[in-house]
Amino acid sequence: MRQSNIGWLFLAPATLILLVVGFIPFIYILYVGFFDWNTNAVDPTLRWAGLQNYRSLVFDTTFLNSLARTLVFAFFVVVSELLLGYVLARALMADRLWVRQFFRTIHTLPIVVAPIAVGATWRLLCVPGFGIVPYYLKQWFGIDYNISTNAYHAFATAIIMDLWHWTPFVTLSLMAGLTALPKEPLEQAQIDGGNKLQIFWYVIVPMLKPVLLTTVFIRLMDALRSVDEIWMLTKGGPAEATRFIGLHIWINVFPKTDYGYGAAMSLLTLYVTIVLSWLLFVAMTGRKGDAQ
Amino acid sequence: MNSFVKAVGVGFISLGLWSSTALAEDSWWKTAAQPYQGATIRGISESTPASKYVEQVLGPKFTEETGIKVEFEATSWDQMYDKAIKDMEANTGIYDFVYIEQDIVYTYLARNFLVDITKSLADNAKIASPDFKPENFTTFLNYFKDPKSGNVMGVPMEAFIKPYLYRKDLFDDPAIQKAYKDATGADLKPATTHDEYAQIAKFFTEYGADKELWGTTVQASSSHPAAFYEFFESIAPTFGVYNWGIDGTTFAATEANGGQMNSAAAKKALNYWVGLLKYAPPESTSSTWDEVAGTFAAGRAAQGLVYGENAAWIATDESKSTVVGKVGVALPPVEAGVMETAESGKGYIGYYDGGAFGIPHSSKNKDASLLFLQYIGQASVQTDWALAGSRIVMNSTYEDPRIVDQDKKMNGYYTLMREDGKLFAGAPPFPFHAQVLQVVAPFIYKAIVGEIKPDDALDQAATAAEAELVKLGYRK
Repeated sequence: MRQSNIGWLFLAPATLILLVVGFIPFIYILYVGFFDWNTNAVDPTLRWAGLQNYRSLVFDTTFLNSLARTLVFAFFVVVSELLLGYVLARALMADRLWVRQFFRTIHTLPIVVAPIAVGATWRLLCVPGFGIVPYYLKQWFGIDYNISTNAYHAFATAIIMDLWHWTPFVTLSLMAGLTALPKEPLEQAQIDGGNKLQIFWYVIVPMLKPVLLTTVFIRLMDALRSVDEIWMLTKGGPAEATRFIGLHIWINVFPKTDYGYGAAMSLLTLYVTIVLSWLLFVAMTGRKGDAQ
Repeated sequence: MNSFVKAVGVGFISLGLWSSTALAEDSWWKTAAQPYQGATIRGISESTPASKYVEQVLGPKFTEETGIKVEFEATSWDQMYDKAIKDMEANTGIYDFVYIEQDIVYTYLARNFLVDITKSLADNAKIASPDFKPENFTTFLNYFKDPKSGNVMGVPMEAFIKPYLYRKDLFDDPAIQKAYKDATGADLKPATTHDEYAQIAKFFTEYGADKELWGTTVQASSSHPAAFYEFFESIAPTFGVYNWGIDGTTFAATEANGGQMNSAAAKKALNYWVGLLKYAPPESTSSTWDEVAGTFAAGRAAQGLVYGENAAWIATDESKSTVVGKVGVALPPVEAGVMETAESGKGYIGYYDGGAFGIPHSSKNKDASLLFLQYIGQASVQTDWALAGSRIVMNSTYEDPRIVDQDKKMNGYYTLMREDGKLFAGAPPFPFHAQVLQVVAPFIYKAIVGEIKPDDALDQAATAAEAELVKLGYRK
């Protein structure tokens, strides 16, 4: 009993911080979401709106498009990073790669770069007229690459930038998971005559599932709230082609000062994230409560 | 010996007089700043040539004279607003002075963000500098006065117009003049109409096809409010569409309700402007005001509308510009009748931009900040500041021989600003500036990238603007 009290005492500072920076703001956003509140309105006070903000969201095509765009972006980056990360993890674990350590270090460097710097760097690389990417794409392949006029180019560049930045994280996670796998089941599968694909699908993937699940969740949640990199790269453009949901909410809350509507958007986005994560969890584990 | 003693005596007397005079001159700031010795004031501004001068020169000089430390953050336009507004909204008091761009002052005033400088100095005469005289400023100061009391709420730190810059060397080249005459049948001279401007742009784009030269700059970022500003504040007025096409009384934007945002003139303007993109370098669709200046300075455009804050360095700074000595300055081209309307005071032909420093109500060092704002508002610091940032906020600055000299190197930009500044105007006095901008801008972006036609863009923009104004309670 005494030990239990001491345990709670040690947890108290972290709990208090979580309460202050997590729970209280959440309750506040929940509260504000029921009001019409814009400090630049004729009446800048909070006015009760009930569920009107949520009702408006259902018909707000800009919001819905932004949300859909974000989901597509998240799908592409998470799947691509998982595949690429696995391939790289296996490659970096191979004994024959004599420069393994060197490549491992180089490959990991993007993780330590701040997202804002990543976005700025990619913008310099890709800006039409001056960037080396459009220059060489034109010189070598005759491609008129322009992230400020072509929605597909901008969207694809946003995905590639995210892959460059975060694939190393997936690689490192999977390397840790692969390194920790017991050898016996793999050897047993080989003795039983399993080919490489069968061993991968029926032995490695199930054993790697906890690591995969954690990695996918982290990357999915990060991708759904991408703001800073995208802001620096395209500012959500051209037009609204890369205006992902985080950026859309930011624009509504800060420059537009539409706090009530912005709060409703945030909560709905949070809800979508939770539902998606739960669905993914169920799909990957085949059950509702346990990742094992 | 006697004469030697006399000479020494006179010398000491002179030294004494000189030092006492010098001390007397220095002592006002020191005495006034005495209670705030060791204090630190923090300011934030957009990173412009004028702001950088404050950061690098005026701030340190003020610290040297007063002992008050100045921490100055010169950042991007977006970040500056984001940080300053959040600070003032949350009343955190991080910043003691903030940049107030002319177009946001009405929002700041409506939300009571700013300290009344006139009243504060009247209430505390000990910190009222005899060298700070509001009457010395140009009429640009009026934008920073409270319309109700007439009191000063911000000290102007930069003011400039957005003129038409052209490559004088190209326009004056006999071979090019002949080629232009052969191609168009007209004489090559700075455009006074939109048709002439487009014709010149087309000619230089074809002429410069293998020279990395295009016909015009266009501030048409497809995702930055800079595009909104260029269209509504620099292009639309030259077609006779003022105040973003919003009626200042009824807050109507659609033509059906009495607004002008989707009027025939506005649509003609947007079609013209978007049409210029085919004569502009590829970076134009990602260009804000900074990139437009960079494009012109790199010699990549024959003409363009360029913010005056960049005129000086483009025309005179060889370390940054490849077109030093090659820059011509003129008034923007206009539609027939627009110039006459502007001259009569009923309209305008472009944007009179600039900003001031003001003190947020949340500041924890208001008196020290008042001293700093007066310090930068002295006539004695204006000339060097103008030379560094091509900004003039005081009438006397125009007369300084060094400014007159620089004016010649800039092909008369200051003269144009002084004599024709009255033809330009600041942003409309809308407290809902940012809200309407965020609603309308996406339609301009869509027109830029060709997602929708310019006519449709303005129809949709006007409807959306009105809906926003209804939501905000301005329009019934």
